Amino acid sequence: MAGDPVSHLPHGISFRFVDRVLQIVPGDRVVALKNVTVNDPYLQDHFPGNPLMPGVLLVESMAQTAGLLLPEGSSAVLAQIKEARFRSPVIPGDQIRIEAVRRGGLGALHRFEVVALVNGIPAAEAEIVLAVVMPNAEKQP
Amino acid sequence: MNEIAQRIRTLLSTRLKLATAVDEITDDTPLFGPTGLGLDSIDALELVLGLEKEFGVVVEDRATAVKVLASIRTIADYIQSQGKG
Repeated sequence: MAGDPVSHLPHGISFRFVDRVLQIVPGDRVVALKNVTVNDPYLQDHFPGNPLMPGVLLVESMAQTAGLLLPEGSSAVLAQIKEARFRSPVIPGDQIRIEAVRRGGLGALHRFEVVALVNGIPAAEAEIVLAVVMPNAEKQP
Repeated sequence: MNEIAQRIRTLLSTRLKLATAVDEITDDTPLFGPTGLGLDSIDALELVLGLEKEFGVVVEDRATAVKVLASIRTIADYIQSQGKG
């Protein structure tokens, strides 16, 4: 995978919830970082005076990280979220370490186990299934 | 066959959210499509992962899945053809 893997995500910059990839074994496992900052636009109102990373955006961050394991050029959408747990609040200043492992798939569907850690402690975890909607023309999944 | 079929029935009831009572599913009830249980592709993935865990059989691709996951009987036949169960 050439260049910064994060730049291969199909999402526009304002909807990117992965900052940096630390390790990646394509098609198998990836570790990425997402930094949470007090001036992130969604924290202004979630909640006023009490900024808290929305759980759905944590899941988005986890899904995007998992998506890095799909063949380059793929676009994927969420097909299933299972066993999602939000164990502790994520607040400005936190650095989220997201670890995603691919656990099988079938056709366009790919299943991942993903955990989001802050200071080594799980803040969220989920099993996520992504469906590839526009596979790379050269590398079918 | 009966013992394998029963284990497949248990797998269906524990891993999937079925609208049909599990003992009403015969060995030949179609698992997919409007005339059967109406399972979808996500259910298929769940089943494939369940079969691998429970029986140690691998369903490699979608074409194989379409054939193997047609009914409890086709799944049982596949498990036996792989020397498992």
